[in-house]
Formats: sequence, structure tokens, C-alpha cells
Amino acid sequence: MGYRFQAPIAFIVGIILIATLVGCGREADRSSDEVRLRIWAHAGQESERTVLQEQVARFNRNHPELEIQLTLIPEGSYNAQVQAAAVAGELPELLELDGPFLAAYAWQGHLRPLDELIDKGLIADLLPSITAQGSYADRLWAVGVYDSGLGLYADRSKLHQASLRIPSLQHPWSLDEFETALHQLAAHDPDGQILDLKLNYAGEWYTYALSPLLQSAGGDLIERTHYRSADGVLNGPESSAMLRNLQNWIANNRVDPNIDDAAFTSRRVPLAMGGHWNYQLYRASLGDDLLLLPLPDFGAGSKTGMGSWCWAITADSEKTVAAVTFLEFLFSTEEVLSMANANSAVPATRSAIEASPLYRPGGPLRLFVDQLEKGHGVPRPRTPAYPIITAEFQRIIDRIRSGSDIEAVLDGAVEAIDGEIADNHGYPWHAEGKH
Amino acid sequence: MTRDSRSNEQTATALLMAIPALAGLLLFILLPFATALLLAFTDLRLGSPLLVRFVGFDQFIHLINDPDFVRALFNNLLFAAVVVPLQTALALALALLLNRGLPGTVAFRTLFFMPVVFPMSLVSVIWSLIYAPGPDGMMNAFLEWGSFGLWEPRDFLRDPMLALPGIMLLSIWQGVGFQMVILLAGLQGIPQSLYEAAALDGAGSRQQLIHITLPQLRNPMIFVMLITTILAFRLFDQVQIMTRGGPDNATTTVIYETVQAAFARQQVALASAMTVVFFLFVLAVTWLQRRYTHHEREVS
Amino acid sequence: MRSTRLSVLLSYLLLGGMAMLFVVPLLMMFIGSLKPDQNILVEAGSLAAFLPSDVSLQNYADVFRRSDFPRYLFNSLFITGCIVICGLLVNSMAAYAFARLQWRGRDLLFNLVLALMVLPFEAIAIPLFYGASILGLRDSYTVQIVPFIANAFAVYLFYSFFISMPKELEEAARLDGASTLRIFFSIIMPNAKPVFASVAILTFLTWWGSYLWPMMVTIGPAVRPLPVAIASFFTLPPLYWGDILAFGVMMVSPVLLLFVTFQRWFVRGVASSAIKG
Repeated sequence: MGYRFQAPIAFIVGIILIATLVGCGREADRSSDEVRLRIWAHAGQESERTVLQEQVARFNRNHPELEIQLTLIPEGSYNAQVQAAAVAGELPELLELDGPFLAAYAWQGHLRPLDELIDKGLIADLLPSITAQGSYADRLWAVGVYDSGLGLYADRSKLHQASLRIPSLQHPWSLDEFETALHQLAAHDPDGQILDLKLNYAGEWYTYALSPLLQSAGGDLIERTHYRSADGVLNGPESSAMLRNLQNWIANNRVDPNIDDAAFTSRRVPLAMGGHWNYQLYRASLGDDLLLLPLPDFGAGSKTGMGSWCWAITADSEKTVAAVTFLEFLFSTEEVLSMANANSAVPATRSAIEASPLYRPGGPLRLFVDQLEKGHGVPRPRTPAYPIITAEFQRIIDRIRSGSDIEAVLDGAVEAIDGEIADNHGYPWHAEGKH
Repeated sequence: MTRDSRSNEQTATALLMAIPALAGLLLFILLPFATALLLAFTDLRLGSPLLVRFVGFDQFIHLINDPDFVRALFNNLLFAAVVVPLQTALALALALLLNRGLPGTVAFRTLFFMPVVFPMSLVSVIWSLIYAPGPDGMMNAFLEWGSFGLWEPRDFLRDPMLALPGIMLLSIWQGVGFQMVILLAGLQGIPQSLYEAAALDGAGSRQQLIHITLPQLRNPMIFVMLITTILAFRLFDQVQIMTRGGPDNATTTVIYETVQAAFARQQVALASAMTVVFFLFVLAVTWLQRRYTHHEREVS
Repeated sequence: MRSTRLSVLLSYLLLGGMAMLFVVPLLMMFIGSLKPDQNILVEAGSLAAFLPSDVSLQNYADVFRRSDFPRYLFNSLFITGCIVICGLLVNSMAAYAFARLQWRGRDLLFNLVLALMVLPFEAIAIPLFYGASILGLRDSYTVQIVPFIANAFAVYLFYSFFISMPKELEEAARLDGASTLRIFFSIIMPNAKPVFASVAILTFLTWWGSYLWPMMVTIGPAVRPLPVAIASFFTLPPLYWGDILAFGVMMVSPVLLLFVTFQRWFVRGVASSAIKG
């Protein structure tokens, strides 16, 4: 190639590249007359993802004038992504969010209240835990298609072998019974590890699944009157005693290290703390040997986790009608069931619960409904400080796992939480929302 | 052409040629850094409806008292203190062996350099499997074999004593090829005549190593040590993917804390302060390198 | 250097031993990607980890089913390619202006560029992230490419090469009336192939594996590059090691192939960065 050509070629290449960059950077709306609705959802269990994608496809087919664009975002960085997008004014019209983070987003003014937008009949049909989860400062901000269930799955044959009583919601295991159970089960187990706490999940699971243990023992994450301070509560005697128990179980090798996700399904371990999403796989692996038990009563009653992902409309969204249309589609009994059947979650509407083979009276997962209806479910603290509370609690568990001093760890966490609340002046609420 | 018009043409052309790079450097390096410096003195949070205030040195004071950040700095320094000598020594050893020019050198060199083209995130994922706990984990099995059964299986990434060494090992695996290649080039640049003269004087190979090879390699060695030290402070990918700073801050690093503060907790001002501290450390290390490098020629 | 038979043997032993240790993760990844998951975990503790068993391509099929791998590969290639190509152009031009042209402010600006070499990327990541967020530029190709085109170290490498080039060709061309740009493209570039190759390779190696920045600025899979993709694939439930290893193999193979083919250039490129440093 002669030298003459090199200069023009270089320039042409350069210009093409720059043009591509500019073009690609401008991810512009190229749709014609369709109303395009952007939705963000978390990349959860495979079945959930598939169902949601199918629902979006179904909706798009039935509503040719609307086009839903779904983006699935990894759970681990979901909150960070939302916060960053919020600053840029780039939030989608409809946003799925993890229930406990609702207060933070509402306080920051990213959401639009749903009280006036959603059909009253639909709201009345929702489980009270759903509306409670979606409310902050007396407004409804988000509605969930399902609620979560948390319990203790067990291998009936192993419990039988260890001659253990099967607990019920009315008569759960006490702390003594639970520790005896651990001891007996370990005696019959080759490696002594008999409890699966899903420690590999990390993240929000720690707060969701393990803070109820504190609450069952009489402790908690933060005082629930004004949500101003965690002092005396998170580092109080009940909380630290319960965490000490947890630390001991781990130190005494009762807890599976979770290298893989198969501790319970491969029957290595007879007890597994788990949620509704584990049901199908567990049922397939253990068949009739599968038991679903309430969590033990560590002193203040059997407590369990609750709350899950819910849908909210963002404050700057201009396509509220379209968004509400999609929401009402998602909340039709048929669609609620299709999601609930996929992830085995507790359907959010009473109508769907009655129709659900898993959750109707007598169904295998009825315990989850009972727990929610009877007030055993403790919501994660409904405060804009929740992100820091969960971050600190996750660190607490992390440190406790490796044997750190509980008092020091708890005091450190309380300091961080109280400091953050103070830095934000206790999260003053202004009715208009965004400042 | 007169001198003036030529220099005008040159100026115009020079500006045309230099502006893209200068603009890029200004906009994407100088400006952000100045912004970080500014933000470090405020209390800015991403997305908070509260007003931003100027808070003087508060963020830095917060950092000094923050056990997580202090531990992060300590971890980075420890990492540098262990990895830099080990990796450099290994790279030197490999370079010396390869420099012998034995048949098969190219194959070995390719193999040792291969990990360098692996993205660190991929390396982190693979080594997570190698560090699997239990007797079936590869590292556990290897150590058990190597210690004739004395080794008890451990959960490396969850063990406060073993997590950081674990990360050090994989970082060395990934990075030694890069250093080795540089040192090898340096070795190949040493004039053969020096060795011949020394041999004539009766120097043995060990003496040749100490008195010729190492001094001649001084600049490349200092260079690779500088690069590795700075990389030690930039440690992030492995921590984010494998340990998330745990267990109990055993593996947290300055950059990990910075990203946690900015990205996960939206504390942009605090993260900026961490950035400034990070930069000061890097500057100090770079300055030390400049001081100890012999310059063969003057930079005019 | 004297080579006795013993020292040759010793050298080979050491090299061979190190080579075996080095190859372990690579081999485990390649062989493991062809195995079902149970085999991977169970065999990891023995030599069976390096031997095929129950070979199948199922894991690869799963990767394509569970993630958008071709898109991630394209994203990485496109982003890194743009950074390299635009960078070569932009940085070499600036370096030439510093090296060969006389203009006001040249020395001051050059010292500024040298000074900026000391700033690692992490020092500016946070404010850059904040700026990108405020301006709504996240989750695009642009935000992953444009900030990294101008590079002080690349300018310096080009500069060092250019000032050591003999001036005769340029002066002859100038006497013939050629413009500076013409000289740059027709004379300098063809004669500076080594430094262009070096800078291209170093830039490529730097940004191909970049994780921190894309992690912070990408949202969904649309413009996500490989390093972030494998990290999110790693956390996507359920955890199947076979799929992850297959993902890893596919992710690294193009670059490995490139490397093995052009390894002399790779090595030379890396080495020359040190000579100048």
C-alpha cells in the first residue's frame, strides 16, 4: 500500500469511530408512535426471570400500542445502580425494588405515591403485609406481587431417626429444644454439620434470615418508635446473646460451610433455613420427606422474615397510565399465580392465595401464609436508614462467622448506624418529596 | 518560507495535533482529580435531598478514625511488602533461567506470561474454585499432599489469616509474567563483554551475578518494583469478587473502601477523601523511585 | 555463562516445576469446562481435576442459554478496540507535536503531561463516576471509551521514540514542501511501527481486563463487557461451576489465541515500556 493512502485511511477510520461513538452514546428513543415503557427488575432465580420475561412478552403482544423494555440487573449491585441512575434522572418509569429499601427511595423523592393511581379494589385484596411494606409516611409507594416466606426445611427421616418432636406454629421449638435437636442430629451425621444457613448467599439474605433470630430472642436491629438509634437494641443483651449462640453453632461445626448450593438437596444436612424460592428444588430432592417448620422460639416467640420485591412508579415518570396498566396486568389473579407458581412465593392477593395449590388451606406452604397473617413476620426496619442498617448487619454476621468479639462488633455497628442517621439529621420528611 | 510563517504553521498544526490528547487529559484526568480534591472537603452524598456543605478536614478526620479504612491502608502496605519482593525475586529467577537460552525457552516464556492476558476478574473466579474449602478443594488437597497429611483443610477465603495470603498468591501468579518479561529484556541488554571480562578476571558465576547482573538490572528492577507497588495500592478486583473485604476486614483495601463508600453507600465526599489519601501514597512511592533510579541520560 | 550438564538439568527441573504450578489453573479451567458440575467439585482435590471425565459441551450450551455471551464478547472487543485505535491516533499526534514542533507553551504543557503520568485511574474514578451519573452518561459505550483515549504514559512512550528518530527523512520531506500532517502520516507512522505496536498492546492489555469502571457505569447487559459479565454470571443464581468455567474459557480464548500468535510483539511491547520508564 502506498504511503499516500495511509493518511486518508487513518482519518476515515477515525471519523467512523467517532461517529459510531457519538451514535452509540446517544441511545436515543427511536420508536415511532409506540409508548415505550422502561422497567428495571432484579435478576433473581431463573424461574422468576423467565416468568417475568414471558409476562412482558405477553403484555407487549396484547397491547401493541405499548412497548415494555425490561432490563434485569444483578441483585448484588441493584441498590447502587438505582441510586446512581436516580442522580442522573435516568430511572426507568417502573422500578422493582426490594421492600426494605422503599423508605430510602421514598425519602429521597424518587418515587410517586400510588394511592391515587391504583384501583382501590386491588389494594383491598392485597395481604396487609404487602401494603404495610409499601407504605412510608402514610402513603403507598409500592406494591409487591408476592411476599416472602422463611422457614426451616427439614428432612423428616432424619428427625425421626433422632427421635425429635415435629414443631408447629402454635408450638415451635424452644432454644433448648433446638440446641438438643442440633446435638441429636449431629450424633447421627458423619461430619456433624447439620444446619444449612445459606451463608454463601451473603448480601441481603443475612439480614432477612438472621435478624428474625434476634427478634425471636427479644432483640432487634433498631428501636422501632422513632428509628433514631440502634444503641441498646442491636448491641443489647438479647441480641448479643442470640448472636453468641449463632457463633457457637458455627464454631462447633454444626453449620455447613456452603461451598455449593447442594447441602440440603444432596441430603448432607437435615435442617436448612430457607425461603419460598427453595421449595421446588427441595421438594424434588426430598419428596415426601420434606418438612417445613417454623423457626424456633428463642424467647419472644417464633419470628420470621417477610417482605420482598415490589413495584414502584418513579417520580419523574410521565407514562403513569401505561405503568399502571402494566401493574394491573401483573396483579391479575392469573399473572400473580403464574409468578407465584414459578418461584413458590406467597401470592400477594387473597384471591390468588385461595387459588394457589401451594398456599390454599391445607397446601404444603400454608405455613408461610399463617406466619404472615398471625403476625409472626417482622418487617425489616422501615426507615431511610435501612441501607446502612443492613450493610452493618451483614458485616456483623461476616465478622461473627470468623469468631470476632461480639460486643466490639456490635458496638462498632451501632456507632456506624447512629452516625449515619445523625449525618442525615434523622431523615426529615417533607410532604412534597424531592427538594 | 520565512521563519515566522513556518513557526505559525507549526503552531497551528501543533495545536491541532496536540489538542485532542490535551483536551482528553484535561477533561478526564486533571479536572476529575481537581474535583476529587474539592469534594473531599464537603459532605456530598449522591442523591441525598439535603444540601451540600463545606466541612473542612472532617472527612479526613473521619478516615483517620475509621478502623475499616486504617485496616485497608495496612492491608495495602502489607500486600506491597510481601508481594513486591516475592514477585520480583520470582520474576528475576525465571528471567535468569530463561536467559540461558536453553531449548524450549520460548514455550516456557509463553506459559509464564499467559496469566497476564487473563482479566483479573476471571482469575479471581477461577481461584475461588481452587480455594474451595474442604478436603476436596484443590489448594487444600495440594497442601495436604505437600505436607504429608499434616495440613487440615481450611476455608481460605473465610479465614482471617489466610484470605489475604490467598489473594497475594493469585496476584503473583497473574503478575509475575509481566515483570519477568521486562527483566528478561533488561538481562538481554547487558553487554556480553562485561561477563567475558569478569570471567577473564576469574569471577565465578555467583560473583558475576552479584557484581554485574544485578547492578546492570538496577533500573528495570526498580521500575518493576514501582509498578508492582502501585498495583498493590490499586488492589480491587480480587477483593470485590472473592472476599468483599472480609473476613472481618482481613482483605479490604483502599480502593475497595473507596468504591464501597461511593458506589454502595453514596458517600461521594468521603470516597473523594480516600482517593486523595490514595494518591498521596502513590505519589510518595513514585517519588522514592525517581530518587533511586540512576538516569543514564539527562532529560532535557 | 558456563553450562554444565548438571546446571542445565537443574534449570530444566526448576523451569518445569514452575511451569507445572503455573499451568494448574489454566488446565483446571479448560478441562473442567467439559465436565458436569459434580465431577468438578469432587475431583478438584486430586489429579483427576486435570483429566477429562464425562466429557460434554453441555456447559457451553448452558452459558449461551443463561447469558448473552456473544454480546459481551462484542462489547469487550468494541470498547477495547476503540480505546486502542483512537488512542494510537490521538496520543501519537500529541507526542509528535511535543517532540518535533516548535510552539508556545510546548514545554510547559509537556511537563504537565509528564506530571499526570503519576495519577493512576483509581484516583479519578470517583469524580468521573459522579460526573457521569450527574450527566446521565452511564450505561453507554461512550462512557467506557472516551475517558481513556488520551493517556499520558502513551504520549510519553511515543515521545521517547520520536525524539530518537533521525531527522533526515522529515527534513527532506519538508524541503519538498510537505505539510507537517503529511509528514506525520507518510513518514513518521510507517517508520514508527515498533512503538505503535508496543503502545497498542499495552493499551489493549490495560483495558481488556478493566473491571472497576465498567462495573460502576454499566447497568444491564447491553453494553456490559466480559470482565463484568463473568462477575455477574458468577453471582447469578444458581451457582454452576461448569458453566462458569466454560464462560471463562470462551472469555479468554480469543485473547490467548492472539497472544500466542503475536507473542513476540506482546513481549517486545511490554519490555519496551520499561526501557522508557
